[in-house]
Amino acid sequence: MAYLLHSPLCLLIAQLVVIIVTARVLGVLARKIHQPLVIAEVVAGILLGPSLLGLVAPDIKAALFPAASLGILGMLSQVGLILFMFLVGLEMDLGLLRGRGRASVLISHTSIVVPFLLGTGLAFYVYPTLMPEGVAFSSFTLFMGAAMSITAFPVLARILTERRLLRTKVGAVTITCAAVDDVTAWCILAFVVSIVRATALTEAVVTTVLAVGYTLGMLLLVRPFLARLAARNTGREGLTQNIVAVTFVLLFLSAWATELIGIHALFGAFLMGAIIPREGGFARILAEKLEDIVVIVLLPTFFALSGLRTQVGLLDTAEAWVQCALIILVACVGKFGGSYVAARVTGLGWRESAALGILMNTRGLMELIVLNIGLELGVISPTLFTMMVLMALVTTFMTTPILQVVYPPEALAKDLLEPPLADKRVTLPEGFSVLMCVALDRSGPGMAQLAGALVGKQTASDRLYGLQLHRPAERTSSLLEDEDAAESPSALEPLLARSRDHGLAVRPMSFVSREPARDICSVAEVKDVDLILLGWHKTLFGQAFLGGTVHDVLKNAQADVAVLVSRDLQAVRRVLVPFCGSPHGRVAVRLARRMAYAAGAEVTVLRIRFRNADAPHVDAFLADIAGDRVKVVEAVDDGNRATDLVVKAAQGHDLVVLGSAPLPIDQILSHCPASFLVVHHSERPGPVHRRPRPLTEPSTDATAHA
Amino acid sequence: MHFGATLRLLRVDAGVSLRALAQKIGVSSAYLSRVENGHDQAPTPDRLIAIARALDLPPTLLIDLAQRVSPFVARYLEDVPSASFLFLEIARRKLNAAQLARVHAFLDAEFPAWGAASAPAVPRLHELLTPERVILKLSCSYLGDAIDLAATRLAGAAPGLHATTLAAEIRERERESPTGVGHGVAVPHALVPELEPVAALVTLARPLHVPTPDDLPLQVLLVIVGGGRAPLEMLARAARLATPGTVAELCQATTPEAALARVRHVESEFG
Repeated sequence: MAYLLHSPLCLLIAQLVVIIVTARVLGVLARKIHQPLVIAEVVAGILLGPSLLGLVAPDIKAALFPAASLGILGMLSQVGLILFMFLVGLEMDLGLLRGRGRASVLISHTSIVVPFLLGTGLAFYVYPTLMPEGVAFSSFTLFMGAAMSITAFPVLARILTERRLLRTKVGAVTITCAAVDDVTAWCILAFVVSIVRATALTEAVVTTVLAVGYTLGMLLLVRPFLARLAARNTGREGLTQNIVAVTFVLLFLSAWATELIGIHALFGAFLMGAIIPREGGFARILAEKLEDIVVIVLLPTFFALSGLRTQVGLLDTAEAWVQCALIILVACVGKFGGSYVAARVTGLGWRESAALGILMNTRGLMELIVLNIGLELGVISPTLFTMMVLMALVTTFMTTPILQVVYPPEALAKDLLEPPLADKRVTLPEGFSVLMCVALDRSGPGMAQLAGALVGKQTASDRLYGLQLHRPAERTSSLLEDEDAAESPSALEPLLARSRDHGLAVRPMSFVSREPARDICSVAEVKDVDLILLGWHKTLFGQAFLGGTVHDVLKNAQADVAVLVSRDLQAVRRVLVPFCGSPHGRVAVRLARRMAYAAGAEVTVLRIRFRNADAPHVDAFLADIAGDRVKVVEAVDDGNRATDLVVKAAQGHDLVVLGSAPLPIDQILSHCPASFLVVHHSERPGPVHRRPRPLTEPSTDATAHA
Repeated sequence: MHFGATLRLLRVDAGVSLRALAQKIGVSSAYLSRVENGHDQAPTPDRLIAIARALDLPPTLLIDLAQRVSPFVARYLEDVPSASFLFLEIARRKLNAAQLARVHAFLDAEFPAWGAASAPAVPRLHELLTPERVILKLSCSYLGDAIDLAATRLAGAAPGLHATTLAAEIRERERESPTGVGHGVAVPHALVPELEPVAALVTLARPLHVPTPDDLPLQVLLVIVGGGRAPLEMLARAARLATPGTVAELCQATTPEAALARVRHVESEFG
């Protein structure tokens, strides 16, 4: 034994092997009884620690986990945790926090406040026996409160995904609440840590100020930078290693900064993950790169370390077990009860409320992370640590079976959200065909949404095409090229997925093109489409609108072209059309009217008159267009106020459709947060040219040139 | 390459019915149908020559496609047995196309052939293609889409050609009888005698599952428009692309030039 473990590195590797194997074996068992993997990993840690291995075979435990080696293992697990918290942040979509209505706000707040208060209350009861010496009572109380209000966002997300609950109302509300809970709980925790570490009040104030400044800096400076970095570097080619390196350096700097400030390094990692832009798969690719090594190799070391610190033997009195039971009870009552009551108040049924409560009660490994921080700070004693670990284990363990009882699959089937987009089709002129050109995968969903709005319920004469043009390879190695192609999914995938959701059939095409603009135009011609839809992407520096490929397509296309500036276009319900009477504007109005009739959108045409000028043909055009679904509003522009008028009117609209001239699009775009569709009218050749002709007709000059 | 499918392709484009062709060469139409479907071996060289006459094709081309030994060669070997030894030597050395070309050049210089050294009536395949008419790594779900895209490139080849009309003609011919020639190659085409022939090459990133003679999904399309003097001969040459090696190399090509070089290489192998 001693020979096998003679050097620190040998020891570390042996520890890793034992830890990973134990966790994986138990993981298989956990799967058998429908438990999340976390349970297996925590139990594996406890089994390897003094609670079992230390009791049964103290020699082996002493040889395998000597006290001297725990420092190295500890550092490794800390790095693992930093990366893991980064992953948690990545999974946490801050977009979830926006606009989710009163229900989520009420439930999430209640589900923090109630357990927090109960936790502090419990602190009053247990502090005589369980509070370590030399700790301020206030710190202990605050920590107990924070520890009670944790919800395990990652475990929750995994349970919801596995049970296909994400698309139910319960799932949507729960995931939002859990996100809010976790962000709040981590903020509270960061605050508690800073208070515990501070020796004087002034120091605590300084820490808090620094922490707020750091958070603002991350949100206001680093986040926009990352957004541009991501916009620039994701999509067709995936991420280069340099970009990943930059991200990691930023991550470690962020963790380092928070550790220096005095809140925990994990907070910095979490915040960094949370502000990584979600668009374009940047976050997804990063997560994929990280996930395996972190979850399989590094995280189990953390569990093992927690297990080594968990000494069930410390609970040797009846009183201790009573306290332990009380902690579990309070934790459940606080979290489950709090969320259940709040959910009932907001009008959810008892089944849904109970499901939500039990889900929120899952504490998983987030609790473990918090507890380890507490133990390292000395805020809680090893005995209390053990009790709380058991609490985390029990609350996580009970989630799946109870959920099975209160929310069986039959109830779930009834609750699956109906897909939106009602069919309110009024008769529209003939079929409509759109060619959607996708360059980056994140522009796909918006385009599909728009196509759905233009076509409504697809009939045989409505044709939708998705086109993706690859740049010719620069590398010569065909082998590498093939591997790349196999790894990166097509940029068309998100478009096709969203189209399927809306019941639209899109015919995908992609190929290598040296002149994308020319190919877009010729595909549009051969497919005889009514509209070419292009995406617009922010460049890293500068924002020339309608430049490059888009410009070339506008110039050469024989069909109308629309450029979609999608700012997370989720639905096309309210549409604004600023209109000055230009030919481009007329096409914009017609497209919007199509949305009104095909998808039931509410369309407002904002007629802008320049200095009250009279334009009878425009009036006639509008009179023809206006109907029960298309409303016309007048506005007068007495000198360069068009931008303001449009920006003001655009409030509350999902989509602004406007002609490529004469309104100042660059200005409007930068001032208005809505999604835009910029429409360009192209003169099409008359119907005579488009009628199929016999091939041989132009034979004379064709032969001459061939 | 699937000989039977190629034969059917040529027969359909020559406008000869199965029964008529069978009668002309003196076999049963059931036998000919089995050959076309690949249930029977390629016919003997003599029958191949008869078919070539009936379809107005150079006999050597069909014999090449069927991978048979030409009767000329067989007769020559009977007359001059020592020549057979020379062939054996060449086979033993496993000479490749480039080395055979050198032998060929030596023969030309040393023993010039009598007459008949005029330029071939049919342009080589790579002369029909240009880099602009090569579409690489196309992925789509319908053969029609691929044909449409090829038509857009072909339309640029001559003024007055319209992609939509071209595509409609090619699709119509494809509907009549699929143009797969095996090993994942198809040669959709619209034969118009008045037009000088042009072609577009399409390699597919995602093989298309359409009915083909050997049930292999399509990977390469050579779309041909026009005809010139000997359209059938051109199609027969196109069928030579259908070997596993050529298809694999074409699909791996990342630049049009590389794909064209491969086509040129195939053409040079046949002298």
